[in-house]
Amino acid sequence: MATNDQGDLDDLFSDYLVECDEHLTGARSLLLSLESNPGGARREQLDGLFRNFHTLKGLSGIAGVPGAEHVAHHLEEYLGEIRKGAAQLTAAGVNVLVDGIKALEAVIAAHRDHQPQPEIATLTARVKSLLSARTESAGKPPGAVHESQATDRGMAGVPPDKLEAIRVALREGLHAWRVTFVPSATRAERGLTIGSVRERLRAAGEIIVAEPIVIPGAGITFAFLVTSGNADFPAEFTGDGFTVTPYLLPDTVPVPEPVASTMALAPKNVVRVDLARLDDLMRTVGELVISRARLDDALERVARSLSPAEWRELEETNQTVERQLRDLREGVMRVRLVSVRDVFTRMRFVVRDLVRETGEEIDLHLTGEDTEIDKFVVERLADPLLHLVRNAISHGLESAAERVANGKPARGRMDLRATAAGGAVVIEVEDDGRGIDPERVFARARANGLVPPGGWSDPSAVLDLVCSPGFSTRDTIDRVSGRGVGMDVVRRAVEELGGTLDMRTRPGRGTRFIARLPLTLAIADALIVAVGSQTYAAPQTAVREVVMVEPGAITALENNELLRHHGGVLPLLRLNDLFSAPRPAGSFVALVVGEGSQTVALAADRVLGLREIVVRQLTDPLVQVPGLAGATELGDGRAILILDAVGLIRYARTRNRSL
Amino acid sequence: MATSEPYILFELVGTPYAVPSSVVQRMEMIEHVTPVPNAPSYVDGLVFSRGRVVPAVNLRRRFGFSAAEYDAKTRLIVVTHEQRTVGLIVDSAREFMTIPVDAIQPPPEGLAGTSGNYLSGIARVADRVILILDVAEVLNHGGGQFPTGEDPKA
Repeated sequence: MATNDQGDLDDLFSDYLVECDEHLTGARSLLLSLESNPGGARREQLDGLFRNFHTLKGLSGIAGVPGAEHVAHHLEEYLGEIRKGAAQLTAAGVNVLVDGIKALEAVIAAHRDHQPQPEIATLTARVKSLLSARTESAGKPPGAVHESQATDRGMAGVPPDKLEAIRVALREGLHAWRVTFVPSATRAERGLTIGSVRERLRAAGEIIVAEPIVIPGAGITFAFLVTSGNADFPAEFTGDGFTVTPYLLPDTVPVPEPVASTMALAPKNVVRVDLARLDDLMRTVGELVISRARLDDALERVARSLSPAEWRELEETNQTVERQLRDLREGVMRVRLVSVRDVFTRMRFVVRDLVRETGEEIDLHLTGEDTEIDKFVVERLADPLLHLVRNAISHGLESAAERVANGKPARGRMDLRATAAGGAVVIEVEDDGRGIDPERVFARARANGLVPPGGWSDPSAVLDLVCSPGFSTRDTIDRVSGRGVGMDVVRRAVEELGGTLDMRTRPGRGTRFIARLPLTLAIADALIVAVGSQTYAAPQTAVREVVMVEPGAITALENNELLRHHGGVLPLLRLNDLFSAPRPAGSFVALVVGEGSQTVALAADRVLGLREIVVRQLTDPLVQVPGLAGATELGDGRAILILDAVGLIRYARTRNRSL
Repeated sequence: MATSEPYILFELVGTPYAVPSSVVQRMEMIEHVTPVPNAPSYVDGLVFSRGRVVPAVNLRRRFGFSAAEYDAKTRLIVVTHEQRTVGLIVDSAREFMTIPVDAIQPPPEGLAGTSGNYLSGIARVADRVILILDVAEVLNHGGGQFPTGEDPKA
C-alpha cells in the first residue's frame, strides 16, 4: 500500500495529466483550425493558444516536469511575439507548434512512465529560429510600427455602406487613399489644422470616412478615407504630419470561420469530476436498482393481505420510485457521457501526420462528433481507432497515381462516423481505397499456417484472419493484403468493451470497419431466460429477436442444427447442451443474436421476463468461461450469469468447424 | 518482532486447517451458489456477497476429497489475495487462534495426498496438529493440472 503522502502526490500528478490533456487538446484543435490559413489567425485564437501553452508551462513547473515547462515556455514566447504583432503566424510556425504539442506529449508521457526524457533541443532551436527570423524581417524603425498601428486602427470598422461607396468609386476608375494627419501646435501655427486639412482633402477628392484616433501617450491622429481621380494625390500630401497609403478594400471573401474555435474557447460551465467518484455513484444507483427489485418481490408477497386501497397506494408509490430511479440512473449515466469529438480530433492529427509522411492526399470527413458515449469507453476507444485510421492510410488507400489509373479521384477519402443507435454507439472507419482481397488474405493465411475458426467458406473468415494475432508482420505483404498490424488488438479492445467489430469490403472500392459499442457498461436491460434449472440474463442490445421454436422447425445437418427463420436458416446453438442442462421436451425459445453472417440462434427453455440488471464483470480467472460476460443479481441474493453473445457466436462457429 | 500471528481455524474432512486472518475478509453461511458451466470442477460457482460476485472454491474438491452436501455448519471463507477475492467452501469454521511463529514448521517433503501442495506449513499447538493453508497456491488457477511430482494414489 502506498503511504498517504505518496497517494496525494499520485493524485496531484494524475490531475496534472488530466489538465495537460485538456490544454493539449485545446491547442491542437485551435492549430487545426489555423492550419489552412495561418495568416488569418484571429485574436481570440492566438489568445487561446497562448493561454494553453502558458498554463502548460505553469502546470509543468508545479508538477516538476522541467522538460515540458521548457518546451511550453518557448512556444508561449513565440505566440507572445505574434500577439504583440511583432511576428506573423506562418505555416512553418504552425508546424513548429504542432510538433511542439507532440514534444510536450512525449515529455509528459516519458515522465509518467519513468522513462528518460526525449530530445527537445531540436524543437526549441526551431522555435528560436522562428523568433530570430522575425527580428530580421522587422527591420523597420520602431516608429514605423507605431504609425502602422495607428493606420490599422483607422481602417477597422469601415461601415459596409462606406465600403460600397469606395467600391463604386474604384469601379469608376478613381483611386482610394488612406490619409492620416497628426496635428501639432507648430502645424497649427502654420495654419495646418484639422479644419484646413479637411478643406484640402475635399478639394482633392471626396472624403468617405473621417475618424479621430486617440493613441494613448501619442495624442490624437485623424484618419481619412478619400477617393480621388488624381493619380498624384499622394504628392500633394507629403510631410507635415501626413501619411498617405493606397487603401485596399478588405477581402470580400470572408475568412473561413474556424470550426473548433468556439468549442475550445467559449467559457464553459464545467465541473471536473474524478471518474472514480462517478463509479461510486453508479454503484450506489446499481444497489438501489437491486433494492427496488427486492421491494417489488416483497410487495407481490404481501399483496393478498392488503385491502385493495392500501395495495393501490403502495403500488403507485412503488411505480413512482421506479420511474424516479430510472431518471436518476439516466442522470448519472449522462454525467459519464462525453462526446467523441476529442478522440476524432486526435484522429485528424494522425491523418495529417501520416499524410505528410506518405505524401498521399486524403480528405478526412468526420460525422457525428457530438455523439456521446461513456467516458470509460471513450478512453479505450482511442487506440483501436488509431490502428484503424493508420491502416486505412498506409494500407487501404492507394497512391494518387494508382487511384487515377483506376479511374478514382486522385485524393483519397476517409470517413470517421459516430452514430447513436438505441443503447449502442456505432463507430465507423471507412476508406475508398483498394479494399481487401479475400483470396490474398487466404493465401497469406495459408502461408502462415492460419486457419479461420469458422472454416474457409465462412463469410467472416476474412475478418477473423485479418484479426488473428500472427496475421501480418511484414510491410510488403501488408500492402498487398490491404491491412496491417494491430487488427487483433482492435478487435480485442472492442470486444472487451462489450462491443462487436464488423467489416465490409469491396475490392477496388474500399473498406469499412464497423465497431458497435454499448453506450454504457454498468446497467443494462436484459432478457431473463431459463436453461434447465438455471437462469441467465441476455443483454437486450445483443438480442435482435426472440422466436418460439416448435421441435419440427429444426433441420439436423450432420451434427449441426439449423433453424428456419425468415426464409433463411440460422445455426442453432443449444444453451442446454453448452451448459450441460437437459433439453426441453416440447417447444422452446431461441434468441437471435449477432449480425449478418454471424447471426446465431441461441436455444433456451423459456423467457422469464425483461429486467434491468447491474452488470458485474467476472474478472477472476477461476470463472472466466467463454460465453459468459459477467454476473448480476435480481434482488434475491442469487447470482445470475450474463450471456456473452459474441463469445457464444465464436464458440458456435469453432464447434461447427470441429465437428 | 512478530512472534505470533492470528489465524482462522476451519475443518475439512475431520482435519483442522488454519488460514492467516490477515487474508480473510469475512465468513458467511452458504446460501445460493450459482453453478458456472465449464468452470474448473473445484469451482462450485458464484456467490453474491456484499454486493460483489465472488467465485466459490470447494476446498474438498480442490484437495481431491469427495464433495459433501452443504449443511448448517458449512461456511464460506472469503479471502483476498493479490487483488482477487475468492470464497473457500469448508466443512466448518468457528475458531480464532494465535499461533506462535516458532510453532510452525515447513510441510514435510513428500507429504501424501493432493492437499500437501496447498500447505505452507504445519503447526503444533498444545498437542493439536494444524495444517496451514497456502492461499496463493489454492487460488492458483490450473495449478493442479500440471504434474507436480506427487503420487495421487499414494
